[in-house]
Amino acid sequence: MVELAVPRSRNLAARLARKMRPFWFLCSPMGVICALFVTPLIILVVMSFQHYSIYNTQSGFTLDNFRVLFTDPIYRGVAKDTIMMATTAMVIQLVIALPLSYFIAFRAGRWELPLLLLLVLVDELNPIVRIYAWRMLLGREGIINDFLGWIGLIDHPLDWLLFTKFSVILVLSTSWVNYTALPIYASMKAISPHLFEAAADLGAGVFTRWRRIVIPLAAPGIFIAIILVYIPLFTDFATPGLVGGTSSYMLGNSVADLMLTTGDWGGGAALSLVLLGAMAIISVVAYFLSRLNQLD
Amino acid sequence: MSAGARTGEIIVDQVTKEFGDLRAVDHATLEIPGGEFFSMLGPSGCGKTTTLRMIAGFEEPTAGRIILEGRDVSYVRPGKRNVNMVFQAYGLFPHMTVNQNVAFGLKIKHVPRSEIGERVAEALRTVRMDELADRRPSQMSGGQQQRVALARALVNRPAALLLDEPLGALDLKLRKEMQLELKRIHATTGTTFVYVTHDQEEALTMSQRIAVMKEGVVQQVATPRELYERPANAFVAGFIGTSNVITLKPDAERDGMGIMNLSDGDRICAPAGLGGGREVKIIVRPERMRVWGDPDGERVSRVHGTIAEVIYLGSMTQLIIDLKTGERVTVHELNDDLKGALPEIGDPVLVQWAADSGFVIDDVGAVNVARDAATPE
Repeated sequence: MVELAVPRSRNLAARLARKMRPFWFLCSPMGVICALFVTPLIILVVMSFQHYSIYNTQSGFTLDNFRVLFTDPIYRGVAKDTIMMATTAMVIQLVIALPLSYFIAFRAGRWELPLLLLLVLVDELNPIVRIYAWRMLLGREGIINDFLGWIGLIDHPLDWLLFTKFSVILVLSTSWVNYTALPIYASMKAISPHLFEAAADLGAGVFTRWRRIVIPLAAPGIFIAIILVYIPLFTDFATPGLVGGTSSYMLGNSVADLMLTTGDWGGGAALSLVLLGAMAIISVVAYFLSRLNQLD
Repeated sequence: MSAGARTGEIIVDQVTKEFGDLRAVDHATLEIPGGEFFSMLGPSGCGKTTTLRMIAGFEEPTAGRIILEGRDVSYVRPGKRNVNMVFQAYGLFPHMTVNQNVAFGLKIKHVPRSEIGERVAEALRTVRMDELADRRPSQMSGGQQQRVALARALVNRPAALLLDEPLGALDLKLRKEMQLELKRIHATTGTTFVYVTHDQEEALTMSQRIAVMKEGVVQQVATPRELYERPANAFVAGFIGTSNVITLKPDAERDGMGIMNLSDGDRICAPAGLGGGREVKIIVRPERMRVWGDPDGERVSRVHGTIAEVIYLGSMTQLIIDLKTGERVTVHELNDDLKGALPEIGDPVLVQWAADSGFVIDDVGAVNVARDAATPE
């Protein structure tokens, strides 16, 4: 006689255990996120509503930290500078990354993989060391000034190469070009090369090709690049600290100063949260713009 | 305009294309009059697509010239020649609607808005896609995308339309439908069509003339009928339609016919004024060989054989027969002519064919012209 097969789900306990399986799988990554991300965030939020004095003591709940941020003209000035420098650097990076990605995606042939590798390796160098190298290039007795004086183009070394807004924007622009280029490269790879031939056949020149085909189809990659890069640009404090001097002070520096120098943890926390909020808004907007292509 | 230039006339003048060591096209010369449906046919790697791309402007000839409507366009950019191409992979812009895709070329030429609307609608009507004007390519089937690609090319009213194996990705039934569609659109628009394919049946269906190519060299340019009935060499004979190759070693010659006698009264005759009992090969078309019936003609070859395969195809039957000479031949017989049951595998059978339905192939594979001088019936 053939034995009747019993479905495994009969057993209630077994059923329950099976339903809980996804939960157990998620436990470890969720635990990691909780420990490393959510908890410090909660602490930050709590801190931002506290008043910290220079002696690192706390006292009662206050909204002062946030109020100061929005009313003190110093913060407004720093914020304006930061927005200007970060946005300029972002635009410059896009201008560099778009042709670079296009070249690697479509014109590099057998150099495609080595070039990609190079692009990734660029970031292996310690950023502090890299930024310091810029100081050697741009300083009054730096390599550029030496060269320009040697070929007789200038009499006195150029002052504005280092410790100015120019130097901050310059260094910011070169810092994350590879992170800008990679998502753009990825979205360009998804473009079928046949499209370029079809466009050429219909009379499209270089400009039309970029305007009507490359940019619209690479748009998702461009927005991802913005999400990835704009935020570190905004919150960077090493670059303005090392090559910015006193004239280019960014919000990242403010946070660092508040936390480390002044000891105003409440203010630092509040500023961090405000920056976080602004970045979140920008990211969400950029994300939805990147999906415009795929509407309907 | 120079003398002799008509709308849509294309001349490929002694064009050679080399990629490094590889010679993809070897001194190809083609003259395509305006309005003709012209195909280039051949196996992969024969140079037909490369030639088409040179006409389109995506490749430059290493030697020779491409002349469009009297103008030498060998080095002119693709967008600046008055031709448009339909690609095998369609190449439709995925982020644009059908309307926008078709209007692309017109927008670039700064055609006024109102005119664009009219011409796009007209082009879509021609390919019968006017209902789907607002769809995106991803929302359409292969056949529909194909028509849109066609409309996108035709809307520019080019002097010539170039098609690179456009039906390759479609299923059989759709392909046959589209072949007739293309024929109809060609007749309606009167544009020169230059079509590339490796499918000889497709070329025969649609074209007014066909250039058969092999390894970069043009073998023969002729109408479908000429290619089938008077192939220039063994390759063309074998590529177009089915052909049976029979070896003949004449014992005797009489009235320009070589005769090889076999046992039991069997014999093979062929028009062969070659002289000196040399061995020759002849090619006979499967419908000229008869199994159930007698062929017309005075001199008749007859060979006994055994049936190896019977393939019933509705209107006709293909019989694959092993002749007693050792050769295997394919015979096509119409089922209307059959009286009685279909033969079976293993049945002995007599194969006959009229002596001058075979063409003789000499050593280099060229068809022997002596056939035409053979004694008429």
